[in-house]
Amino acid sequence: MVEITIRKRPREDAVVTQRKFFKKTARGKVIKVLRERYLRDDVNCGIQRCSLCSLDVEPTLPPLGTQEHQALSFGHYVIPDTNVFLAQMDLIESPLFKTPIVLLQTVMEEVRHRSLPLFNRLKMLMRTDEKTVWVFYNEYRSETAVIREEGETPNDRNDRGIRKATAWYNSHISLARPPIRNQPKPVLTTAVLLTDDVANRQKAEAEGLKAISVRRYVEGLKDANQLLDLLSVKGEEIEPTRAAAPRQALYPEYLPTATVLAGIKAGQLHQGHFNANQYNYLEGSVNVPAFTKPILLVGRETMNRAIDGDIVAVEVFPESEWKAPGDEVVDQESTLKNDDAEDSDDEEGEDDVEAAVELRIVQKEGTKRPAAEKQPTGRIVGMVKRNWRSYVCHIDRTSLQSSNPGSLSQQTVFATPVSRLLPRIRLRTRQAPSLVGQKILVTIDRWDSSSRYPEGHFVRALGQVESKEAEQESLLLEFDVPYRPFGKAILDCLPKEGDAWVVPPKNADDPEWKGRDDLRDLLICSIDPPGCQDIDDALHARPLPNGNIEAGVHIADVSRFVLPDTPMDNEAAARGTTVYLVDKRIDMLPELLGTNLCSLRPHVERLAFSVIWELSPEAEIVNVRFTKSVIASKEAFTYEAAQLRKDDPNMHDDLTKSIRLLNDLAIKLKAGRMAAGALNLASPEVKIHLDSAESSDPVDVEQKQLLETNSLVEEFMLLANISVARKIQETFPQTAVLRRHMPPPPTNFEKLKDVLLKRTGRSLDVSSSGALAASLDQCIDPNEPAFNTLVRIMATRCMLSAEYFCSGSVGRDTFGHYGLASPIYTHFTSPIRRYADVLAHRQLSAAISYSPLHPSLHSKPYVERVLDVVNRRHRMAQMASRASVEFYVGLALKARGISGTVTEDAFVIRTFRNGINVFVSALGIEGLVMFKREIQFDAENYTVSVPSPNDGAPTTISVFDKVRVKIDVEKDPNTQRGKVKMTLVSPVNSASL
Amino acid sequence: MANLTSISKSEKSYIQTALEAVPPLREDGRALYDFRAVLLATGVAPLANGSARINIGKNPEEGAGGTEILAATKLEVETVDSGDGVDGGRIVCTVTCSPAAYPLLSMNALDELQYDYTTTLHQVLSHPSLHPRNLGILPRKKSWLLNLDLVVLSDAGNVYDAMFMAARAALWDTKVPITRAVQYTAKKSSSSKPVDEKMDTDESSSGFDTRQIPSAQDFDLPDYWDEGEVLGGRELWPLAVTLNIHSSVHFLDATSKEEAAAPLKMMAAFAFPSTSSPTIQAVRLLGPGELQHARLQTLLSEAERFGQEMYDALEIKLRDEDFRRNHKARNRFAQR
Repeated sequence: MVEITIRKRPREDAVVTQRKFFKKTARGKVIKVLRERYLRDDVNCGIQRCSLCSLDVEPTLPPLGTQEHQALSFGHYVIPDTNVFLAQMDLIESPLFKTPIVLLQTVMEEVRHRSLPLFNRLKMLMRTDEKTVWVFYNEYRSETAVIREEGETPNDRNDRGIRKATAWYNSHISLARPPIRNQPKPVLTTAVLLTDDVANRQKAEAEGLKAISVRRYVEGLKDANQLLDLLSVKGEEIEPTRAAAPRQALYPEYLPTATVLAGIKAGQLHQGHFNANQYNYLEGSVNVPAFTKPILLVGRETMNRAIDGDIVAVEVFPESEWKAPGDEVVDQESTLKNDDAEDSDDEEGEDDVEAAVELRIVQKEGTKRPAAEKQPTGRIVGMVKRNWRSYVCHIDRTSLQSSNPGSLSQQTVFATPVSRLLPRIRLRTRQAPSLVGQKILVTIDRWDSSSRYPEGHFVRALGQVESKEAEQESLLLEFDVPYRPFGKAILDCLPKEGDAWVVPPKNADDPEWKGRDDLRDLLICSIDPPGCQDIDDALHARPLPNGNIEAGVHIADVSRFVLPDTPMDNEAAARGTTVYLVDKRIDMLPELLGTNLCSLRPHVERLAFSVIWELSPEAEIVNVRFTKSVIASKEAFTYEAAQLRKDDPNMHDDLTKSIRLLNDLAIKLKAGRMAAGALNLASPEVKIHLDSAESSDPVDVEQKQLLETNSLVEEFMLLANISVARKIQETFPQTAVLRRHMPPPPTNFEKLKDVLLKRTGRSLDVSSSGALAASLDQCIDPNEPAFNTLVRIMATRCMLSAEYFCSGSVGRDTFGHYGLASPIYTHFTSPIRRYADVLAHRQLSAAISYSPLHPSLHSKPYVERVLDVVNRRHRMAQMASRASVEFYVGLALKARGISGTVTEDAFVIRTFRNGINVFVSALGIEGLVMFKREIQFDAENYTVSVPSPNDGAPTTISVFDKVRVKIDVEKDPNTQRGKVKMTLVSPVNSASL
Repeated sequence: MANLTSISKSEKSYIQTALEAVPPLREDGRALYDFRAVLLATGVAPLANGSARINIGKNPEEGAGGTEILAATKLEVETVDSGDGVDGGRIVCTVTCSPAAYPLLSMNALDELQYDYTTTLHQVLSHPSLHPRNLGILPRKKSWLLNLDLVVLSDAGNVYDAMFMAARAALWDTKVPITRAVQYTAKKSSSSKPVDEKMDTDESSSGFDTRQIPSAQDFDLPDYWDEGEVLGGRELWPLAVTLNIHSSVHFLDATSKEEAAAPLKMMAAFAFPSTSSPTIQAVRLLGPGELQHARLQTLLSEAERFGQEMYDALEIKLRDEDFRRNHKARNRFAQR
């Protein structure tokens, strides 16, 4: 008979058993929360072979702790204080930090309270196998539980709890290993308190506990040199040892969070994302809902330590102080090249010179500018949320004091981020000489008001610059693409049969066939780019006896395999999308699904989700039907192959006929869409050949060709998406997953309209998407076919980006898709590579009563949250693929550059006071041509006048002019950062300018 | 007022005759001015901001019986300009009678009874003279709504006295979370120099002090773990004394039967400010009997005397309860 003991304490012990606290909700209510606490005597200490603790869990702490420490000669564990995790997470995460860690519940809760991202990293840390981390629930063990004394601050209470737990560990160990008579007293393993809080350390020492600061601890470790670099500077400010000489504040202090929030609520401050200007490091902007134009921030002080992506609070100046954005390219590297990284102690001296230069630049801006160009101007007064992450950087070679490769002395150096939007980061490292010429990952720790640059620390090296691996990984890191291989829990969600999984033979009782249409006999084929492995769509069409046409789009039935709320589903939701780099694909779903089980390969039976229309010969929808189905694709075409097949007059088989039928319909559908005002947008798209046989270069660039069949597939996918969007919106008006493209505010087009009018005399009607489409069609220069594409590219840049949204979260009138001129739209056709499509599949499946809808998809907040992530990932994925293309274009240029100079035709798209921005359509890249000599700049007419080299008459260059540029790739000698450099060849040669 | 307990004529006459006897006799052997045993505990509802449970006349042998009332307060944030809130906060009292306490009453009669009790309690407690000073959060923006809820769990007579005692104990126990006003003030001059302190955070922790800031928009809780400070003027909460009057006799703490036998009750509520003499907060005459005006004065001063005794006893008990719940519990925890 098991003895039953009552662990619940009587009401009299309320102070101990209950933990009460107040919570202020987002709506301003105050809620009292009560937690019941049960104290027990059997919370395991986690030390292996402990004679006192029960054995129902597997302890992980080695009985002797670690002995690899110079100063602490005895075996020990560390018990880190909360501040260690808050400030030094990189250190703890490092594989070189091997000391067994006892993680106290108090610490864990405090970390969660202070920073959710850090808490998530802490959770990851607890799960990894390389680390020995034991979570000790000290608040639940009766000996170590503490209650708050009267007048004690929460922080003091937690510190006391941590000390109490440390003391308990030591006494517990001595009890578990009592001294044996006639034997020398054993040297006991000790629990050491690791904290950067001096007060806590002193109290601990007074209580007879071992306590040590992080720096001192790390200094005694074996790999101290590498580990010391990982130390964040943040942790040290608690140390009183450094004489805190008051330094001159360069930036205004931030307002406290509560004040900022109150100001935003009252409408006196504006909240938004900070966007750095990539041409001018002294300028930034913040988009806020209150103004149609973004708020301009000019100069360092007003940008007040914001880093691209931070959410900031901005105060707007009165209208009389509003300014226009600058028209000069200001490069951080050239302006501040003399800045010394070691100047942390005296920021005066030559700094003043640079400050003066900056001041001149800032003041020059905005004077004598037309009032129309003025933007709301303001300054940052508070930080709502820092969005700092790890940045890929290069070490600036000139900032090194000693480049002796053997030198291990600590130096302060500058790291220049790859992204032009970020400021230089100052970091201290002992490995500086060996890091030059490598891509490294750097984390920003803090940015004090007295420091010109943010301070950070080195995380790890990615590899040599321009090695493909390093470049690839740095791209993925830079755009925050999750690229770890899928974990075991995720792979466990795959069908057990693996590769051998097949659609079971047809049988009405089989759950797989239940409710599915058998479409295996239809002549279905897929059309994709060459080399495509994740085929998620296939098509068919056939005439019906009544003269109408049946057309079907069949999409891989991913939701059959990816079930809601499984590890695989969560991972896919977190990844959001598959990322395509030039030489690598980072899948959203494990490969088995993406390229095999879900991929609609030819000649095998696959599960699909079909949209089948009855269309009139004029391509009007008579009827639409959605069904789960089983299909067997007859052929997987490439766009080219399909095009050839369609155009071959000798082919008359049914499959060819169905392609022709589809094509006819697609042409009509497109015409209908264009008539409704859809935009034909353009973005520079180039194709990268990797080691192609046809080209002598290892890598080559070619512009993408668009075939009729591209448009065929596109039209049917659009049609399917629109039909599905209507259906799920009807069925789930509150939570349908839709996609929209907001019409751009007319102010976005002002500049382009002005340029077009002044330079070419054409006007652009932007009142609606239809009007814009019509006026874009008229922007044709008979002599220059690329001109139209150029205008389209520039118009596209004025627009907002499309986004996923939850139908219940926004007004019905904002559902429209501007670019497609469709009142409603969603993404349904690529569930293998986009998570939003998976959600749409689930909703459609529930809408046709095939399966019940998972409760999470009835919850508006859940859908909103998932779509927020997907939107962000989507944006990042696009940028990553673009950057990947750019990198290969650079490689190709370099390769071509070896055999001679590369000169290409380019169009001027923007003029600056000291340069022009050109677009090279053949390569799909943009570049700056800078002039060192003074040139005439006419902001009103978007022209620059360049004096010819031999003092002849000046040549005028204006926006939209066609020029020839010489392109070469040069490495920045300091940072090894590859840079595309362009110089004008004609009309003037700017090499000497 | 409806008779809640029906007794026969002979029973009624028996009680009345015994009261007129010399010395007066009561069914349970008490003297006229004796109370039954009063049991009080505070902090009985942990999720409430303050709470108390009171029992009058629990039978020590059975461990049951007596008038039992549970009182609890709950604070809610209200918006003054757009919501129901009143600048400086407000108090709403509600009394609910458990149907088990009045098994003989119909639902309608029970509703009426509850309404009666609610009105009496609310009128007395929400009087401006008693209003606590710290129910405001932000002047003209946010304030606390103090809900005082009482449940009559069982009725064995003298519900009014018990109700006021329970209400007083719960209010005495109530703690108001400490709030801090936060606001942003735009700078006056428009120079782009780094400006100095632009923030105006009220460091003093009481809600009262935030009144000095007119434009604060929002507040926060500086200490989530702290229960807060006690209600302002908590010693003022009144106590009620009910005198049951039968011809020339009056007596305290009537049982249900005695209430049914006495034709008239006088309920008087007193507040006992520490600095000045007690003030009368309310007087109610209940029942069909008559009372001569001349006698009212004597009865009131009698009632005041009883009230003072009751106040003193309750005060000691409340402080004792506070001590038990905090200090003693901590000590016991420390000595485990």
